[in-house]
Amino acid sequence: MFTRCPRTNCWKPSSAIEFGICVNEKRKKLHGMGGVRMWIALVITHGLVAFLLLGAITHQVVSVWAPMRAGASNFVARFRAVGSANYVNAIIVLYLVTALMGSIIYTKYRISARFTLEQGGYWKSFGAFELKEHFIALGLALLPAYWYFWRLSLTPSDARTRKLLTTLLAFVIWWAFLAGHIANNVRGIGT
Amino acid sequence: MKVHGRFASFVVTFAAVFAIVYYLAVAYNWALFSYGPAIGQWTLFTQAAAAGPTMYWYGWIATAALAAACVAALVAFLPQQLTYWLWPGFAWLVPAGSIAAFVYLLRGYFMR
Repeated sequence: MFTRCPRTNCWKPSSAIEFGICVNEKRKKLHGMGGVRMWIALVITHGLVAFLLLGAITHQVVSVWAPMRAGASNFVARFRAVGSANYVNAIIVLYLVTALMGSIIYTKYRISARFTLEQGGYWKSFGAFELKEHFIALGLALLPAYWYFWRLSLTPSDARTRKLLTTLLAFVIWWAFLAGHIANNVRGIGT
Repeated sequence: MKVHGRFASFVVTFAAVFAIVYYLAVAYNWALFSYGPAIGQWTLFTQAAAAGPTMYWYGWIATAALAAACVAALVAFLPQQLTYWLWPGFAWLVPAGSIAAFVYLLRGYFMR
């Protein structure tokens, strides 16, 4: 299943060696210990930023669907009581940063982790990750409209558009977080 | 409820057209460029990398973004009378439809 690459001396799936993935000397530095640490740091940072994004969008989506009622003071009520509009810029920046980091990590996934998913027959995890990449792209295109409808001094006539754009973005972010987490768990960090 | 202003027309059209073109780009592999991650090779359109797998995802996004920007810019500069049909809900409805279409397109992975 796994073979040691004759050039870079690293372990790779046999199919990766057949594809010639370890042949290019210019890419050799990415196989070294420093390269591995760099990828691990990137994956962990990506996960942490995604976690912040998940928290922000969840606060916002709950507050638009179930705004706080007067007098409620328990944990759930406080969770709903956030100022939804204050989250918009943070969500956009976090989404862009997370997507950018994910798009860099995706190159590594494509030449290593994906083989593990394919060879292990983890088709549901594989499919969930395939959907994630498409949902993330669709989410990127939603951001200008999301920003615009939240920025427009919160006119009541746009409330439904705002609510559904936020919900769709929340769905994309939750799916991406869970699919990425599952795909990562199949193999584990640094293995 | 109507869309008011050029920028509003632009963002609504951009989200809707991107969702449609991105789906078509994936389904028919209309990538503006491709990337071979194993050797760091960028190629124009859908040319396969010299070694290792080829990634089209960046190219699909570029194709959809370019098409959506062009159509959205065109719609934004049309006279207001010609864009009366533009509904703000297209910004979420069309991408939601695209998400459903992707689930259908990739359903095979979940039925094995």
